[in-house]
Amino acid sequence: MITFPGPVSALVTLPVAPDRDGIARVLSLERLAQESLPGVRATIPAFNRLLVEGSPSEWDPGEVESALEAAARSALRASPTSPGPPTTASAATVSLPVCYDPDLAPDLEELAATAGLATGEVARLHSSTTYLVLATGFAPGFAYLGDVDARIATPRRPAPRARVPRGAVGIADRRTGVYPAEGPGGWRLIGRVPTAFFEDAAERIARFTPGGSVEFRPIARSDYEAEC
Amino acid sequence: MLNPTDRTGPSHAVVERPGPYCTVQDLGRRSGRRAGLAPGGAMDQRAFLWANRLLGNDPGDAALEVTLGGFVLRFDAETSIAVTGADCGATLDGVGTGAWRTIRVRPGQMLRLSYSATGMRAYLAFPGGLETDRAFGSASSVARDGLPGLLGRPLLEGEQLRWLAPDRTLPNRHLPAHLVPSASPGAALEVPLIPGYEWPEFSDADRDRVFAAEWTVDPTSDRTAIRLTGPALTSGPRTLDSTPLVDGTVQVTGDSRPLVFMRDRPTIGGYPKLGGTDPIVLDALAQSRPGTPVRFVPADPEAIRLAIARRESFFEIL
Repeated sequence: MITFPGPVSALVTLPVAPDRDGIARVLSLERLAQESLPGVRATIPAFNRLLVEGSPSEWDPGEVESALEAAARSALRASPTSPGPPTTASAATVSLPVCYDPDLAPDLEELAATAGLATGEVARLHSSTTYLVLATGFAPGFAYLGDVDARIATPRRPAPRARVPRGAVGIADRRTGVYPAEGPGGWRLIGRVPTAFFEDAAERIARFTPGGSVEFRPIARSDYEAEC
Repeated sequence: MLNPTDRTGPSHAVVERPGPYCTVQDLGRRSGRRAGLAPGGAMDQRAFLWANRLLGNDPGDAALEVTLGGFVLRFDAETSIAVTGADCGATLDGVGTGAWRTIRVRPGQMLRLSYSATGMRAYLAFPGGLETDRAFGSASSVARDGLPGLLGRPLLEGEQLRWLAPDRTLPNRHLPAHLVPSASPGAALEVPLIPGYEWPEFSDADRDRVFAAEWTVDPTSDRTAIRLTGPALTSGPRTLDSTPLVDGTVQVTGDSRPLVFMRDRPTIGGYPKLGGTDPIVLDALAQSRPGTPVRFVPADPEAIRLAIARRESFFEIL
């Protein structure tokens, strides 16, 4: 489905789930759109969607629609991707250390109690999945990662916290993510990445790219303190 | 790329008073959008573009955006500057200079912008543009993005400024009066609305309200969004995953009121969206003070696209 969210932009929604295969198809659509449309200024892949922003002097809505329809058909026709990210930019798996100490994770004990699990089991389940970057945004360097094990999936808090610390690891439904900077946030906080991982702005902003893979390594409180 | 530049010489001017919020801006950044960076850039792009044009600068040369005035600059060099945007009663050593024009200044002179009587943001451009740090293709300051130095914070008292063509001499120029934008006091600002893909999911009553109501600019409006007060819009889709935004996306947030996304907006958003607007009307929204009445009117996207193309061609934006 193709819609026009502004006078010089198009939003394509692919009929796919935002999983590894679905994200690979959205990224394939992104490459085809960049090749087949003149004057593309920016593209944003997010979940099962792609935004294309064009140049106003080169934008013909009819042509854009037919080119994107053809690109979407082609992206949907391609054979399912083998496991593993489809682009070189996302080839490396990002590995982040997480301390799951309840002192640093204000929602961990409540989440564990609701799930009927020990806090250590929540940490084990959260850190035993290789996550896929489904989208970036909300803040620079924030990635929506999926999917969280269904046993620890929890809706976001009814009211967001005014201040979530930098490096806080949160869960919202089947998504998890790391807050790259202090700010408001409503995800359930279950761990913390040492702040040293966010000090360099260029590194922090460019860390995650849609389609990339992310792993969390549990670390002890003493190692967390040493790395902060 | 993100490290502060080592300044290469003496200052050309010193900020004596930065006022409530003064930042370095240009036309914003197109790269980094994929990583979640805001577009950034001058809130009122028309005023910004004219300031650079009056000085013979490139359209995207870095300039100052002075919010609500309260700004004093002491010059250390002989030069020409340009002042456009909100009417802040600019004076040079106490003598009124007028705006939408170039101003010749000598070392030791003081430029003062008072608290703006109308409008929100004035622009000060300098020959060749400000010498400043850049990241992801732009010098624009976006506080929410956490970039270092002037890329992530407003100017401070005592800040030293340098620009890139201090020796350029040029005749005084001003914008003809018929080209200076003017708002008629009390009249509602008309904001074209291009209904978007979620528009059909709002109730008939809410869709009628959008066009029938007289909205008002809320005091919490900022560089991220112009927030509107008016009747509550309580329908619309509830979606799980956020979708990409564009400049001027009109979204209904948790308080059931619409907002229009501006330059420091996020790149994706999860609340219901009414649609998009004309990017050129963002200039007028950028100058609208709290309490300004706003009406949504139906839009012709093709006419809007042609108008943007004409502007980009006129100002030679690539």
